[in-house]
Amino acid sequence: MRLVFVCFLLCSAVTVSGQGILNLKLDGTEKGKTLPAVLSEIAKQNNAKFYFLPEWIDSVAFQQSYEGQSLGDALQNVFLGTDLNFLAMYPQAVVIIKDPRQELMRKDAIETSLRQKKVIERHVLGEPGLAKRGQPVVITGQVIDAKTKEPMRGTNIMVSDSKEGTTTNETGHYTLSITPGAHVLNITFIDYEEKVIDLLAYVNGEINVVMEEKAVILDEVVVQSKTSAQELTTSRIGQIQLTMRDLKRAPAMLGEADVIKQLQVLPGVTTVGEAASGFNVRGGSVDQNLILYDGLPVFNGSHVFGFFSAFNSEAIRDVSFYRGGIPAEYGGRASSVLDIKSKDGDFQKWNGNAGIGMITSNVMVNGPLTKGTTSMAVSLRSTYSNWLVHSINTNYADLRKSSVFFYDGTIKLTHLFKDHSRLSFTGYSSKDAFRLMGDSTYQWDNLQGSVRYDHTFSPKLTSEFIAGISSYGYQVVNKDPLTASQLSYRITSSVIKAGFDYQEGYHKINFGWQLTHYAFSPGTLKPDAPGSNARPISMDKQYSIENAFYVSDAWSLKDRMFVEAGLRIPVFISFGAASVNVYKDNLPREITTVTDTLHFKSGQPIKTYAGLEPRLSFRWAASPTSSIKLGYSRVYQFLQLVTNTTAVTPIDIWQPSGYYFKPQRADQIALGYFKDFRQKQYGASVEGFYKKIDNILDFKDGAQLILNKHLETDLLQGKGYSYGVETFVSKNSGRLTGSINYTYSRSFRLIAGPTSSESVNGGKEYPASFDQPHILNVSWKYNLSRRHFLTGNFTYHTGRPVTIPLSAFPLENTTVAYFSSRNQYRIPDYHRLDLALVIEGNHRRQKRAEGTWVISVYNVYGRVNPYTVFFKSSGTGVPVPYQLAIIGTIFPSVSYNVKF
Amino acid sequence: MKPMLVSLGERVRWSMTFILVMACVDRIDFNAAPAQLQTVVEGMITDGPGPYIVHVSMGLSLDADASVHTPVQNAKLKLFSDEGLTEDLKEVSPGEYTTGGIIKGQAGRTYYLRVETPDGKVFESEPELLRPVGAIEKIKFEYEAKQVKQPYGIFAADVFNIFVDADAGPGEDNYVRWLYKGTYKVVTNPELHMRRQQPYAPFKDPPACSGYNVMGGSPGSGGDLEKNGECTCCTCYPNYFETMPQLSDGQLVSGNKYKNVKVAEVPINNATFSYKYLVEVEQMSLTRKSFEFFNLVRAQKKGATNIFQPPLGEIKGNISAMNSNDPVIGIFWATSITKESIFIYPSDIPYPLPPLPIIAESCLSYYPNSTNKKPDLWP
Repeated sequence: MRLVFVCFLLCSAVTVSGQGILNLKLDGTEKGKTLPAVLSEIAKQNNAKFYFLPEWIDSVAFQQSYEGQSLGDALQNVFLGTDLNFLAMYPQAVVIIKDPRQELMRKDAIETSLRQKKVIERHVLGEPGLAKRGQPVVITGQVIDAKTKEPMRGTNIMVSDSKEGTTTNETGHYTLSITPGAHVLNITFIDYEEKVIDLLAYVNGEINVVMEEKAVILDEVVVQSKTSAQELTTSRIGQIQLTMRDLKRAPAMLGEADVIKQLQVLPGVTTVGEAASGFNVRGGSVDQNLILYDGLPVFNGSHVFGFFSAFNSEAIRDVSFYRGGIPAEYGGRASSVLDIKSKDGDFQKWNGNAGIGMITSNVMVNGPLTKGTTSMAVSLRSTYSNWLVHSINTNYADLRKSSVFFYDGTIKLTHLFKDHSRLSFTGYSSKDAFRLMGDSTYQWDNLQGSVRYDHTFSPKLTSEFIAGISSYGYQVVNKDPLTASQLSYRITSSVIKAGFDYQEGYHKINFGWQLTHYAFSPGTLKPDAPGSNARPISMDKQYSIENAFYVSDAWSLKDRMFVEAGLRIPVFISFGAASVNVYKDNLPREITTVTDTLHFKSGQPIKTYAGLEPRLSFRWAASPTSSIKLGYSRVYQFLQLVTNTTAVTPIDIWQPSGYYFKPQRADQIALGYFKDFRQKQYGASVEGFYKKIDNILDFKDGAQLILNKHLETDLLQGKGYSYGVETFVSKNSGRLTGSINYTYSRSFRLIAGPTSSESVNGGKEYPASFDQPHILNVSWKYNLSRRHFLTGNFTYHTGRPVTIPLSAFPLENTTVAYFSSRNQYRIPDYHRLDLALVIEGNHRRQKRAEGTWVISVYNVYGRVNPYTVFFKSSGTGVPVPYQLAIIGTIFPSVSYNVKF
Repeated sequence: MKPMLVSLGERVRWSMTFILVMACVDRIDFNAAPAQLQTVVEGMITDGPGPYIVHVSMGLSLDADASVHTPVQNAKLKLFSDEGLTEDLKEVSPGEYTTGGIIKGQAGRTYYLRVETPDGKVFESEPELLRPVGAIEKIKFEYEAKQVKQPYGIFAADVFNIFVDADAGPGEDNYVRWLYKGTYKVVTNPELHMRRQQPYAPFKDPPACSGYNVMGGSPGSGGDLEKNGECTCCTCYPNYFETMPQLSDGQLVSGNKYKNVKVAEVPINNATFSYKYLVEVEQMSLTRKSFEFFNLVRAQKKGATNIFQPPLGEIKGNISAMNSNDPVIGIFWATSITKESIFIYPSDIPYPLPPLPIIAESCLSYYPNSTNKKPDLWP
């Protein structure tokens, strides 16, 4: 850094004599005297000279005795926390100078803030003389939302003169170490008014910050990882923060803002087809994404085949998404983490939102139960979309007989205690029912309840405690009178978590413990009518616990370097009651090769798996506008989704690790370069990754997985790997903002068992079902005016691999199809253009209601993108491939949201 | 100026007009090599006396009618045994080749087949061990009342479930296939067949196989029937084949025995039980390779067709191209066979069946998979 000296004014000189005057030992008589007086005495007594401007040091005094210490040490102490310094010109001459750098930058920062009409608060902590030599001042505090009093995690706090900074933790707390003296703090969070603090700090202290949501936002990017402004300063590689306002302005299908749909346009994130459930991250399968809703796992985050995510955007406070550099506090899924936090109610007054779309409507009401201390937020979303599926125009007549219904609702109660502790309860429920081509109705539901307590032990030590139960289940109800039946499946997980953040100096230590108990009811089939031919089947229940300890230390060295190293130690135990078949050695597992059955009593451990998961995240600022980041993580995944269908379906089952199935182990390394241009108007990044996964599950050819009492005979374990490069360019300000990202990535599997039936594709490597080499996303937003935005996005990805029948051949008395090797063909490439016009209400701060219209056109040029490939029997009983495209045409829609 | 009011109903209708068309189901084609370039070889050798039959044909496109497959004629087929014996197969009908008795299948021996097509392509099977097989100890049947849903209503579709008890075989790792065949007897009256044709309506039109022809007759009578030979299509023995291979992999082996393995369902109606019903079950040994082949065939035949259809696997077989990269599918497998059969009688049905109505058709054309040759086991 360039040091600027502009002030070297010598208006007064005191003559002293002797060598090395700075080594002069003081006798203690200086205590209580002003600096000019002491210097004058020393000059007289020692024949030395001091050069200084009297007004600089007139107010500086020796607050204490420095007996026995050198003059140099005493001056350093006295000048600590000021912009004064000194130089020994000659052994007998000392010049007192003023280093204007800090002061100029501070002045500049304040003037800039004033020009931009930002709110400036002034805080003074202690007096200049109280600063301790060689010790930084530690500022702690909490950042909260002005309206809801919610703690704001991920808020950036930058020291504008030194360029040091930090972010708030889960509970909105931060700790900042700065040199004593005057500083300017800039506190920023997306969609919130920047807060500027003019700070004079000489002693440790607490500064709590209240942030207000912006009334008008013009310069943000439509949908992107906040690369330019945020990614560079975000400590971890691959971390993305999404805001709800961004989502609402994006061109969404049917006008529904959707978290998961918007994730799918981020680099490295894709989906296997139109409206397919879930998402795939960096060549990972859908089940490798941990979705947390207020800390509890969600097993199916989709409504209606995956048309919508199961989370009402009106009820969401913020969303953090990690696709690399996963922090140690998260575990259990190999590819990514989507951490969704629900909104607290307003603590001051009642207000709400309502939205009317073509498919769904939603309402959210929130406000204080006790003003300032207890709030409630309730949201509900439901559909009236049956007419939508009835309008399906297809030759496949059964499709018109379909029906669709879903709802989701959240209730949240939050209470604030006087000691800044916070207690909240979240209840969440979602349910789906759809009938598609036949007599079967598919239903699934999520039900969650959790209690969270945030407590601040001290400014340095904060904590969070979560306890809750999450239940996910599905039913397939068959109403055919001859085969009427009900197939049921359920997972219930009970979760306890305790997490702590401890900040000391440049270190932020995060540690905690998590315990999850899983109870699986892997399937029961019951006849559902008196004359039904269905035979009852009941699968044995499965139980397991996942226990994990974690610790991580994030260490930032000013703005140059950041290192976060963590370790997570998961232990997974599956236990009885259970019966496990034992098979002959060296033979494929089949019922005919069963030699014995092991019986485990209730609570008796069947199999235990433990591992060490090192995590590392590293950032080095190559220059003020660029940084290099590195991330490494190892994650064990103990639950795997077992599917053998082309599209993920609601009736797929989760298989816990156990006697035969080892947990997946994924190691990922990622390296990225991030650069800003033109004062952050443009940003660009390139990021590469390599991921290796052991013990992935895949199915044997022809496997039947539902109600299979011995899945070990139909599933295989093998290896997988994926790699890729993600590039990203964004324009972050101006009338036109937007981003372009292109990803090249591959994902492969290898399952080579001792026999061909225990191998896939003869033991040769094959593309994973979600291997999509080329992915391109372009999104933009053009501000027509302060309230009118034209937004759009274009997405393209390579068609996913499929296994298809190629030909048929006669065999004995029948005709049989000859299928390709697994995943050797691809469905047509996927591409789609969406446009939307967003018209926001007026931006006056005082208004009764604020309405927003979103007029969007989904699939502008009517591309027929396949949702899935399935087979129909030909006249000879041979399966023939067909594609089902859910949205096979241009789809305009209008929605209206009002905030009151 | 008077404000223009638009009712909510009008607004909704207006927005609904946005929905033009939504989902669509289309046939999807992939850029795959034409099926007709694929050679198909299918044959077996058993521990029975032979002759052993091998079919060679070309693959079918997915939409093709199975009856129009293209046989590969004039191919040179040679069977090899591990004793050093070889035998050339003879083409007895287009694409069908048989052995002449030089090689006899024996348990414990290994066999393989070479096929050379007229254009010089050579295909060979992997060596197949002819494994011994256990005996079928008992065939049992059990009545089950069932119904079936048809577009115009729900109808009774009762069945006899057929089970076998069997010895699992002498080996440690036995793979077994049960091949089921059902045969019943029907009698029709083809001589009564009529055709509506001017000036006589109806016009008597017995097929030649009925043993009758039409002679003269009074006007309007449609002519007189005159017997001129034996009827060869009045009495038939329709066969009912399994819809998919029955395999042993899902069966528990207890004391080296298979118990109550369900191998078939016999439909109960007045045709199948006009007289009695012959159930024949063959228990066949398989090698691991041939077991996996039939396992995939079974999975394909079992799979339902819906949008959540699992993709099925490549049916690999054991035939490889030796001097080209040409695609080839098929299997040449070796098996020991033990057979057992039973009759089920109308009296085993818990209720009386109505008699079969008069069917004025050739039984050979009316009943699929029929023959007029009385089975050896039929008394």
